[in-house]
Amino acid sequence: MTNLLKILLVASVAISAGAKEVKLLNVSYDPTRELYTEYNAAFAKYWKAKTGDDVTVSQSHGGSGKQAQAVINGLEADVVTLALAYDIDAISQQAHLLPADWQAKLPNASTPYTSTIVFLVRKGNPKGIKDWDDLVKKGTSVVVANPKTSGGARWAYLAAYAYALEKNNHDDAAARAYIKKLYKNVPVLDSGARGSTVTFAQRGIGDVLLAWENEAHLALKEFGDDKYEIVTPSLSILAEPPVAVVAKNAKRHGTTDVANEYLKYLYSDEAQEIAAKNFYRPTNEAIAQKYTANFNQLKLVTLKDEFKSWANAQQTHFADGGVFDQIYQP
Amino acid sequence: MESLLNKNKKADRINGSKIPKMKLTNKITLALISVGLVSSAAHGAEISDADLTALKQQIADLDQKVRVLEREREIDGETAATQAQSTAKLTVGQNGVNFISGDTNFVIQLHGLAQFDSRSFFNDAHINGNDAFLLRRLRPILTGTVFHDFDFNFTPDFGGSTVQVLDAYINYRYEPWFQIQGGKYKSPIGLEQLQSDPVTSFNERSIANNLVPNRDIGIDLHGDIYDGVASYALGIFDGSTDYNGTTATTSFQDDKAVEGRLIFQPFKETKIDALRGLGFGVAGSYIFSNPATNTSTGLTPGYLTDGQQKFFSYNTGVNASGAGWRISPQAYYYYGPFGLLAEYVISDQNAKRTAAGATPTYDVQNSAWEISGGWVLTGEDASYNGITPRHPFNLHGGGWGAWQLVARYGELDIDDNVFVGATNVRLADPTKNADEAQAWSIGLNWYLNKNIRANLSYSRTTFSSYANTKFAAGNVVSQPENVLFSRLQLSF
Repeated sequence: MTNLLKILLVASVAISAGAKEVKLLNVSYDPTRELYTEYNAAFAKYWKAKTGDDVTVSQSHGGSGKQAQAVINGLEADVVTLALAYDIDAISQQAHLLPADWQAKLPNASTPYTSTIVFLVRKGNPKGIKDWDDLVKKGTSVVVANPKTSGGARWAYLAAYAYALEKNNHDDAAARAYIKKLYKNVPVLDSGARGSTVTFAQRGIGDVLLAWENEAHLALKEFGDDKYEIVTPSLSILAEPPVAVVAKNAKRHGTTDVANEYLKYLYSDEAQEIAAKNFYRPTNEAIAQKYTANFNQLKLVTLKDEFKSWANAQQTHFADGGVFDQIYQP
Repeated sequence: MESLLNKNKKADRINGSKIPKMKLTNKITLALISVGLVSSAAHGAEISDADLTALKQQIADLDQKVRVLEREREIDGETAATQAQSTAKLTVGQNGVNFISGDTNFVIQLHGLAQFDSRSFFNDAHINGNDAFLLRRLRPILTGTVFHDFDFNFTPDFGGSTVQVLDAYINYRYEPWFQIQGGKYKSPIGLEQLQSDPVTSFNERSIANNLVPNRDIGIDLHGDIYDGVASYALGIFDGSTDYNGTTATTSFQDDKAVEGRLIFQPFKETKIDALRGLGFGVAGSYIFSNPATNTSTGLTPGYLTDGQQKFFSYNTGVNASGAGWRISPQAYYYYGPFGLLAEYVISDQNAKRTAAGATPTYDVQNSAWEISGGWVLTGEDASYNGITPRHPFNLHGGGWGAWQLVARYGELDIDDNVFVGATNVRLADPTKNADEAQAWSIGLNWYLNKNIRANLSYSRTTFSSYANTKFAAGNVVSQPENVLFSRLQLSF
């Protein structure tokens, strides 16, 4: 027994002596701070137990479009966890930092969790906001971020547009008219989702915030459900924020294996529970069932169903001269 | 929600000044309510419920507008701050033109040096030493740093009679004490030679400077230890001959020279003011072999007086032949307005004349020394790196710049070995070349401001011959050289 203990002691010392320290940079979109703070701690513990190595994950957060541009311009991300696939496609196409088929590398088109867009209103819902039609009423002030820079804002715009399409038998002209009226009620555009939450919750501007579902729940948690309440519209969009290893950066840093495992672990039971607790809809059905009380039921339409693809949506709505530029006058 | 709170604190500041976000809106709201109520009371009328509701709604709408305006200002400030980080900056000042990229990874600086000189020779029977105006140096100087640790310098010179690339090098700074430099730059040997051209005391460097190399092409390791208490440099170079006005661009042989320098400023960090400016050290070079070659003699093209007249040169067909070395103990001292600089140089080179028949190889050991000093009459501190006037020249404002009195003495001694032997074997002609030269100079420098300087100085050089040989008439060395110098200089 004594000999066995000695052997174990020597082995553990040897393992500790050989333990590596690995650093990863996760470039993410605006509202995922709390999610990844919790996830990174869990992953570090898991990785230490599995390999004996210490992994430290640094985070960068901002509007999804801006973050993608930062990586293209040289920000040395090992992984990106952005709001929409289009932004990661841009990194692949413009900077060639990851392959074009990156989305096929992980399950569910590299989307470990989903979300949607809901309304956050002031307690008591003084303007009686129930659905998208209430947002275009005169005297209703809507807070949302700039879809040119914020991934969440692009999902919000598409959710509104999808509602208008569904309501008007896919009449594009009617949908444009609706979206124009909606953005006429937007007094200020932040660059990212977190900024628009500050505008609504901290600066007291607006009657309703079009928010990521998790951001809305977080606001209730932090500011108190005596100040705000969530209104779930009849229809919204299934937001699918994807994740990817920035292959060239990871290879240069020697972090490919850890980066791959970091993203794979997002699909583990532990990570899916963390996502659910932070009000991201887990893709693991069993865990989604367990946390069903966290999420209101509503009709969710997909981007593919309503807009064919991100490339098409970007080109039609968000590119320079697109629909958003045509309808929005600051 | 720490991050939301942090974002809140950040958003509280616009352009550096804190705006109490709620206070302002609350004050406006209170003011509007007060005005509304006072106004109603002033009319002596009761406010109906409908009017009150309308008034409250109006106030709420105005409150929202103010909040929106404040938030837009915050967002604009954040956007401007973000853009400023990626926006390149251009500054122009007394240190030249600076471009810095937004991410500070690229810094490019443009400097310049222009020296407009005059030389007037006296009592030379108009034989030698043409009185002249000249553009002594005309240099655009491009320097910079990329990715914080890599410095570069590219300096062409358009002054004088030839256009040349003076400096072209890259320096990697791993730490102040560990730097690697490669390219073409000043050899780490001569103390006066290493002084920057715009800040030397006189128009021309001393007679002792003839024995040290000018620029060389190579690579060295160098650095400052303990904040410059000790400095070192050690490198491998092509190997330059004794001072050459037109610097080499290629090597004249296979073998390379090792050059190095060690300088101490032991009292630099002490509280003893009077000793902080004391520095001393030694420099030297050794070239492994120096075979005779047709592409170059491997020897100096000649030694020059202060007036830049050649007072010594080897006979045609004389080449370096064997090892060559230099050693130079050197020192400087600066305290307040007083500055002193001194160096002694030995340049030893085997040489032979490649005439028909066997000729002997001579060990030629030339030596020189100089001491120069200055006193800044207007009280500014003297330094190895120049003088900055406290009160730049300004006729309207009453500033007169800085004034400095300077003096120098130097000697150069040619090895007697070069003059021995028959006419066909000796290395130099004693009737046309000096065996010794002694030069003294005195001058007055006026620093109008950090960028403009004017000099006036007088130099006298006398010559001694080998074994009292009579100098041939009409040679530079046949009479003392007396030169009056002036200079107008722009540097930035």
